[in-house]
Amino acid sequence: MRLPLLAVCLSLLALVLLPRAGQAQARYTLTGFIRSGADKSVLPGASVAVPALGTGATADSTGQYALTLPAGRHQLVISFIGYQSQTRELNLTHNQRLSFSLPESRNELGEVTVVGSGTLEQKLQTPQMSVEHLTTREAKLLPALFGEVDLLKTLQLKPGVQNGGEGTGGLYVRGGSADQNLFLLDDAVVYNPSHLFGLFSVFNPDAVQSVDLYKGGFPAQYGGRLSSVVDVKLREGDPQKYSVSGGLGLISSRLTLEGPIVKDKGAFIVSGRRTYFDVFTRQINKLNKNTEDYSPIPDYYFSDFNAKANYKLGAKDQLFLTGYYGRDVFGFNSTNGFNFDFSWGNTVGSLRWNHVFSPKLFVNTTVSATRYQYSIANKLDQFAFSLSSDIQDYAVRTDFEYAPDDRHVFKAGATATSHLFGVGRLQAGSQDGSLNIGSDVQYHGQEASLYAADNFKATDKLQLEYGLRLTGFRSGSDWFGGLEPRASARYSLTPKTSLKASYAQMYQYVHLVTNSGASLPTDIWYPSRLNVKPQRSQQVATGVSFLLLGGQYLLTNEVYYKWARNQVDFRDGAQLFANADLDAEFLFGKGWSYGNELYLEKKTGRTTGWVGYTLAWTQRNFQPQRGTTGINNGKDFFPTYDRRHNLTVVVLHQLTERLNLTGSFVYTSGAPTTLPAGRFQLQDIFGAGDQLGGNPVPIYPDRNTYRLAPYHRLDLGVVYKLKPRHGESDLTFSVYNAYNRRNPYFVYFDQVKDKATDQVTSYRARQVSLFPVIPSVTYNFKF
Amino acid sequence: MFVATLLKRWIGLSLLLGAAGCNLQKDIDVDLPAVPSQLVTECYLRPGEIPRLTVSETTPYLSTAQPTLLTDVTVTLTLPNGQQQKLQFRPGLDRLTQKIYTHIGQRALVARPGDTFTLDVQDSKGRHVTGTATMPALVPLDTVEWKFNDKTGEQRKAYVLTKFRDPAATADFYRLQIHKDSISVDSERDFTLDDRLTNGTQMTLGTSYRFSANDTLLITLYHLDEPYYRFLQSVDDARNANGNPFAQPAAIRSTVQGGVGVFTVLSSDRRTIIVK
Repeated sequence: MRLPLLAVCLSLLALVLLPRAGQAQARYTLTGFIRSGADKSVLPGASVAVPALGTGATADSTGQYALTLPAGRHQLVISFIGYQSQTRELNLTHNQRLSFSLPESRNELGEVTVVGSGTLEQKLQTPQMSVEHLTTREAKLLPALFGEVDLLKTLQLKPGVQNGGEGTGGLYVRGGSADQNLFLLDDAVVYNPSHLFGLFSVFNPDAVQSVDLYKGGFPAQYGGRLSSVVDVKLREGDPQKYSVSGGLGLISSRLTLEGPIVKDKGAFIVSGRRTYFDVFTRQINKLNKNTEDYSPIPDYYFSDFNAKANYKLGAKDQLFLTGYYGRDVFGFNSTNGFNFDFSWGNTVGSLRWNHVFSPKLFVNTTVSATRYQYSIANKLDQFAFSLSSDIQDYAVRTDFEYAPDDRHVFKAGATATSHLFGVGRLQAGSQDGSLNIGSDVQYHGQEASLYAADNFKATDKLQLEYGLRLTGFRSGSDWFGGLEPRASARYSLTPKTSLKASYAQMYQYVHLVTNSGASLPTDIWYPSRLNVKPQRSQQVATGVSFLLLGGQYLLTNEVYYKWARNQVDFRDGAQLFANADLDAEFLFGKGWSYGNELYLEKKTGRTTGWVGYTLAWTQRNFQPQRGTTGINNGKDFFPTYDRRHNLTVVVLHQLTERLNLTGSFVYTSGAPTTLPAGRFQLQDIFGAGDQLGGNPVPIYPDRNTYRLAPYHRLDLGVVYKLKPRHGESDLTFSVYNAYNRRNPYFVYFDQVKDKATDQVTSYRARQVSLFPVIPSVTYNFKF
Repeated sequence: MFVATLLKRWIGLSLLLGAAGCNLQKDIDVDLPAVPSQLVTECYLRPGEIPRLTVSETTPYLSTAQPTLLTDVTVTLTLPNGQQQKLQFRPGLDRLTQKIYTHIGQRALVARPGDTFTLDVQDSKGRHVTGTATMPALVPLDTVEWKFNDKTGEQRKAYVLTKFRDPAATADFYRLQIHKDSISVDSERDFTLDDRLTNGTQMTLGTSYRFSANDTLLITLYHLDEPYYRFLQSVDDARNANGNPFAQPAAIRSTVQGGVGVFTVLSSDRRTIIVK
């Protein structure tokens, strides 16, 4: 099986590298960027069409398009939802570079400024399936928790994507766990996409242009995680004029500055935000400093900073520089000698060089560095304790795209990454030197990949995208490798009906070490090693799409099945910190998930939005191993993110030119959880513990056999555009959980005591909810 | 591990307090799976002490809080020399330890490090629990010292440092307790730890500035066998998982077979100091 696949890979590479002289005569290629006329940001997914020939091209993730046409006169239609379409006449006599700027259509009542990528027609025609495209403009209109616009939470409203709990931004895609998502920020990996234990994402909406989420049918240029790719592109800044924008919200403020470096040659954008919980909590602490038995509230804030610059070196070369720095900071200083400082965050940088060899061939080469770290410093009188962990990557990647004619678009590229896994650095000591403990566990890893793919229009009805990715990983003397075939196809049954299918195999060589049900900042990344094999998955999906009611609606139904091997978990009581033999704590199992996703979307008109319904199953199995009984005694179990039914309804309505109304509704089946079925009393040894009747010890039955109550929530929003003297501004009102549903966050068992005797008389189950109805208002401005 | 546990507990506690403050908690009915009731044994043998054992049974979590006294359980302790000793069913309260027991032996136990004991517990329903425990070597306390801060009056407090030498050849597990005035009350400090990062070195454990002048402190160092240490960990993890959405439920790692509970031989060293 593997040799033929390798042959295909090499053939594809050869196709890219070999000249294809026979097809160039009397056909020329048009290339360039499609940008927003407002801020000159690129518009991935925008299209250039030639209606007379029934052909066209779509801008890629960098905003570039390539379209090969016969020589002669053509009428081009350039369009993108939310922008005014343009028509251009062109006499094509040679290969040519031509870029377009589309004015926004925000003042046209007929087209609401909301939307996803490309037109529904394009979604129908592309062989790529299982992908969701989201723009910041779309997310900003939707109601949000505390008014904080969050792209990842908006993605959770798409079919096939589950959240990890009330209010959290973790993504669980088609039965994959939260660590199986590849987060890319301008091609650099982001290891922890969360602030505040997952309640907010690290992606500042003011700096982000768009997000693509791939749930399956992964293009060959992506790899490294099993379940999804979240490809975030930052805005590039306005190359013509300076502007300042920002917002004031309930819990944070944002400020963005952008403008030309050299007019029409280069631009920059810098954007920052910071929460101000700590400003209030410090005041509260100050007011209560003389209150007896008052426990000060710990300081907490997060901040992040994004910057991006681009510069045209010439007609064929352009540089893009991206930087991100974010930190969560948590501090507690008590008057009785106990100090606790905890900080964590990502630092990311990338430099991309775009070079156009010819109108048919261009290349993007990116060098990037990323680091996620946390550090804890703890001091109690004369004792001090510190713990830190990090992962650092230095990576280089190059991606070629070659469009020899209007039937083929070849892509090929390579990546190489050097990882440094700082698994744990621990230091504990006392001032007098009588205690001094240290531990430092580090591993190096090297990861590389090579890929090639072809997007091939076989006939007017059949379009294929197939490719192969070869990956390898080395840690010390341990080597791993894998072939990852990728394929997707679209067959047009009628002009308004498409059938699609895809297959993808994925390898994941890095693993998140966590024994928590949710992502915590102290989770650490760990390399594949001799006793920790790479994770692997295969996914098949098939779907059908219908364009309905004159192209206003797209109805898509997709069915998927995913197999996963070497899924990781950890033995009970595992020592996950500063453990030089962490390999021994891993448990390995298999997983499988399957489901059906129904998706109806509307992108034009005053009322837009979507309805998604997912019916899905996700299961895991960890057999007895390594001296343990496995997990759940080797029986199949549902992970906590398994949900049988998931319904989302999102509606955006432009009432007037200045007033947008939005609403979203979510219904999800109850989450599996484990509740103690039994209990026993433990007195403990002489001088410790309770007598009978004290705190019982819970006995847990099979894992995740209890289901919490279903989750449902309605959010409402209003965006009202103000009329300031300068620039533009709006007020965004949000009501999170509008009908104040007490959704279950978790359930615990509590003692019931007799008030007179303080004796425990019985026990009860208590359900805890996290967020009641939360109204918020945010003021946004730009001038 | 400590940090993660601390973090998870802090978050869990914050959520509980926050939810309680905002009226975001409510009683619910849950339908728990029926699990068969198991015998629970708790037996800590100590050299020079008459063996005592407590037998109870697991109950459905939401059942009544009143414990059921099991009257049909026979307990046999096998000594290192093979001699069997029946522990009599004679429920009572040990006045010294303030612990309830259901079965008691007749003679004080003779035990030396390396001695292995066997426990056999059976009831009339056919439930049968067995266990084996070997007495760990004694690890003596090398040093117990204290130091006052430079404050005066009620603010003048002392910390306590305890030091002992960890054997290099073995993986070792410890529990250190510090009691004030009497060992019959709950401890001021209770640490459990292993020697994973400190194997073969002098180990130092200390407190914050918390003791006043003339406090009488009893410092006890237990050298634990690994099964008992793992049992304690699993009990802690299981308790922590109830009410904390970030914690994974943990199975109890009993040191006995056929039921739930612990059977171990305690090996301890104790110092009494008066902080001056």
